[in-house]
Amino acid sequence: MNARTAVLGVVLVVVAVVLLILLSGGDDSGSDTTTSGSAVTDEAAKGDDEGKEAEPTEVTTIVVGKDGEPVGGVTEITVHQGDEVRFKVESAIAEEIHVHGYDLMKDVAAGGTVSFEFPAELEGIFEAELEGQAEQILELRVEP
Amino acid sequence: MSFIPFAHALASRQDLPIPAWLFAWAASIVLIVSFFALSAAWREPKLEDERARPLGERLSGALLGPPLQILCGAIGVLLLGVAVYAGLEGTEAPDRNFALTFLFVTCWLGFPFFSAVLGDLFRPFNPWRAAGRVAGAGFTAIAGQRPAHLPYPERLGRWPAAVGLLGVVWLEVVYGAGGIGIEPHATAVAALVYSAYALAMMAVFGVEVWCERGETFSVYFGMFGRLGIFGSRDGRLQRRRPLSATTSWATVPGSAAVVIASIATTSFDGGQEGAFKDALESVVEWLADLGLGPTASLRWGETLLMLACFAGVALVYLLGVRGMRTVPGAPSFAKLRAGFAHTLIPIALAYLVAHYFSFFVFQEQAQLGFLLSDPLGTGTTDLFGTAGWEIDYSILSANTIWYVQVAALVIGHVIGLMLAHDRALVYWPDYRKATASQYWMLAVMVAFTCFGLYLLSVSNG
Repeated sequence: MNARTAVLGVVLVVVAVVLLILLSGGDDSGSDTTTSGSAVTDEAAKGDDEGKEAEPTEVTTIVVGKDGEPVGGVTEITVHQGDEVRFKVESAIAEEIHVHGYDLMKDVAAGGTVSFEFPAELEGIFEAELEGQAEQILELRVEP
Repeated sequence: MSFIPFAHALASRQDLPIPAWLFAWAASIVLIVSFFALSAAWREPKLEDERARPLGERLSGALLGPPLQILCGAIGVLLLGVAVYAGLEGTEAPDRNFALTFLFVTCWLGFPFFSAVLGDLFRPFNPWRAAGRVAGAGFTAIAGQRPAHLPYPERLGRWPAAVGLLGVVWLEVVYGAGGIGIEPHATAVAALVYSAYALAMMAVFGVEVWCERGETFSVYFGMFGRLGIFGSRDGRLQRRRPLSATTSWATVPGSAAVVIASIATTSFDGGQEGAFKDALESVVEWLADLGLGPTASLRWGETLLMLACFAGVALVYLLGVRGMRTVPGAPSFAKLRAGFAHTLIPIALAYLVAHYFSFFVFQEQAQLGFLLSDPLGTGTTDLFGTAGWEIDYSILSANTIWYVQVAALVIGHVIGLMLAHDRALVYWPDYRKATASQYWMLAVMVAFTCFGLYLLSVSNG
């Protein structure tokens, strides 16, 4: 095969494959998910079209001990864009809790509990910290 | 225990790992493209000649003339001064201090990104070059003769820059790992120490020689600038074929080490929370068992991991070079090793874009917003009226980030293959032997690209 047609061939194949990807990724990422990636996929296929009526997610409880560390390590919450994020923090110490990216801040008294509830609008991975001692207590993953 | 990639100290939003289906698609494209590249490529070297066309004399004179050079140099010195001052005097909150974002994001990522398109943009703004030239001119005026310099040891080549590159990333990622990341104050001190070192070396070896060989930032940014379309020769600005200026880049010893260090450090930062996390944890535990304190064992563990990344990337490249040696008519190992180093530059750029593109977009909003108007982060100044601008994390969707990441790696891969094929035709005028030699470089490129995809796909939890 001569060089020019071959280069053309490569370009065509690349364009075709890229288009395929864009299309398959664009309207429904769920259908291609054959691998074990993440378990939470099907209900809220895409945030923007029908995401609002997503099922209420459970309220996760994070317990912060007297040492100022989360009991059982950093909690992970994974939701889809548009879902409600719900969690509460029971803290043995007085602290300020900061959800980064969403920039939500709430104080909690020693021995008190504080609840968060907000819609997951931003995609990505975010941390919530005990602001005073820069201790991470939560990793929030918002998938498209 | 958590390992903090540099981006954590500043941006509040991290990238989601690319989904499995995208990983699979991208890897398939890489293989298909590579397969076609072997059968389809050209038979005469095309990129060795820059085909440079000088720009108009007036335009060139205006852009390279003394007034603009002095202005650009002064801007460089001024901004470095602002960064150092903010680091020393401003808030210790890393995301609110001008120093960190300006030095490690705007410059460290911005110059590679933009130079890769336009050509070396750092050279005119290089504060140490500007200061060195002023000092040299002052010396000449007072002493009545040009300063005498020691001859630069040829074999040292660009090794000082390669070591410097590892040092910058070490400072950025490893040094601050024990706490919440590197502090503005430490960054400012490091910038002052580096300035003293750079100026001393310029005094010893001469400004231009040191910038070409040893000055970390000139060498590193200049490497990406070789991909771009503008350059200067003999005081004249010229337009050249994209990519073509890379072909003459690696003639200086140690150049391969610079580009390998770039790929290695990006892999290290990208992988420390994901792909390498388990390995890192066990090394750190092992060091702690040996009796090191928690911060020391974390730093040593990360240092070892970073060096292991350097060794690993170097090994893959050298194996490819060793493979090419087996093709009849091959030049010496040393010649091949230097001869193909430039083919990794697009891969290094692709790694940077893939790992830091979203971070750059988010953090530049801070740079142009509150950091510009309130460089010290005291909350009391508003120089340009932009102190209230915050970062809008919603401007990039997860899908956009994924496609940019994957596209960068695939495009970098294709350009790397083109450069390697072109160089092979120089060493093996027989087209079939050149192609045979490129099975090896192909394997190297596929390895780097798929590894890059893998790093992106591993959950960084």
